[in-house]
Amino acid sequence: MSQIDGTETHPAVMENSTDEYRIQSFDPDTQMLLKTALKDPSSVDLEKVSNIIMDQSLKDHVFSKEAGRICYTIVQAEAKQSDGNVFRRNLLNRLQREFKDREDMRARSIHEWVCYVTFICNVFDYLKVNNMPMVALVHPVYDCMLRLAQPDALKNEEEVDCLVLQLHRIGEQLEKANSQRMDELFFLLRDGFLLQEGLTSMARLLLLEILEFRAGGWMLSSTANKYYYSEISE
Amino acid sequence: MSNRTPDRRTDATSSRREHSRSGPSRWSHCRKRGVDGSMRTDEHEHTEGRHSSFTTPESSGPVSRCAAASDWGSQVEDDEMRRDLHRDLQRYRRRILAVDAPHRERKASSGSSGSCDSKEEDSLETDEGVLLRRQKQINYGKNTLAYDRYIREVPKHLRQSGVHPKTPNKFRKYSRRSWDQQIKLWRVKLHAWDPPTDNGTQEDNEEQLDFGDIMDIELDFPTLTEPAPQAARTGVMEDPEGSGTPVKVQRMDTAAASDIA
Repeated sequence: MSQIDGTETHPAVMENSTDEYRIQSFDPDTQMLLKTALKDPSSVDLEKVSNIIMDQSLKDHVFSKEAGRICYTIVQAEAKQSDGNVFRRNLLNRLQREFKDREDMRARSIHEWVCYVTFICNVFDYLKVNNMPMVALVHPVYDCMLRLAQPDALKNEEEVDCLVLQLHRIGEQLEKANSQRMDELFFLLRDGFLLQEGLTSMARLLLLEILEFRAGGWMLSSTANKYYYSEISE
Repeated sequence: MSNRTPDRRTDATSSRREHSRSGPSRWSHCRKRGVDGSMRTDEHEHTEGRHSSFTTPESSGPVSRCAAASDWGSQVEDDEMRRDLHRDLQRYRRRILAVDAPHRERKASSGSSGSCDSKEEDSLETDEGVLLRRQKQINYGKNTLAYDRYIREVPKHLRQSGVHPKTPNKFRKYSRRSWDQQIKLWRVKLHAWDPPTDNGTQEDNEEQLDFGDIMDIELDFPTLTEPAPQAARTGVMEDPEGSGTPVKVQRMDTAAASDIA
């Protein structure tokens, strides 16, 4: 995590944050706005900033995978500068609004839905409260995971891919927060793997791997690792 | 509605209009209807129009606690406050035990049981709901320009009891009335550090303050003003329309009656 202090106003140093937070995809003015939000949050419209980040996360899958990071930095900067919570509050409430309409979102665009899940999981990962995950997000994240484990979703490789990626990243934390729902999720995943017709072989492979991953305490044994990943290097 | 953090030098008139229109007061979260009669929703929009002396612009404003807050923003804030409270409580416990230790040693040697520290422990407020409420009340007071100026002006070691406002101790057992009264007096004392308005006096600041909050608890206003500057009295006691009873008291009456538990 980059340190926010007064020295980070040098142009060369400012440039690093473009890469660090993956904001290259934004137009120059927006990039400037985001960079200012990182250094001097109370000088910008934080509601607007949270919407910009949210909107982009819903479109750009690459951005959504790490957007939690820039959010975290802005939250910290705002808390430090003015003891404020405006950015976090706006971000969370916007996430909540999208969450309420997730079924419509999914019907409209699987890609947007997948980006949304990626983003909310990323936020869950980065935005901690006293080093603990935000309790308010635990159930919504599980709801999203369970949706991805439904039969109609397992048929889409895009959704299976999203599901296993998120479980790799935050599965352990989620289980710690609520193990009952994790069990519930894995019942579905086992059923899906065994009984679901119309799964691609890639989808089946992903499911088998995540089953082994969790069974191994959220890591793969070295032999399993060889099985699933050694082919890539050859 | 934009949540743009407003410039601190907000226009006094428009902010007053905004503030009295939507009028969320500290205790308004317990009321289903706002002062103007409109229904309150769970999603409480931040009133940007608060006068600068009342609260710093970055505050997120009061939160509905009638039902448990259903928006994620509030849930996370409450969660954070709860954790901070528990941490504070542990710290406070350690502090009072440390203070009592010398007494305990003396008592032990004389043969009697260590009743000194348990006495302090007994008068410890641990109810989470109560602590949360008190913390929020304290936060409202600390989230003001007056408080900012006060702590900068008067370092802790120079503070004199009675003269300088002191934050009420949320961990001590007090009755609800007693606590609310302490908060009220504390906040009034803090107004001495309100930033001066453009015309050089502090009168405007007092008027625009939501004295409605304070009126909710206690209707015998005259006893309140002894530490406060004269301006405070004038601001509320005088009624520009000349109908006798201060307008704010009238409006609050029916709501206050149900509020006094």
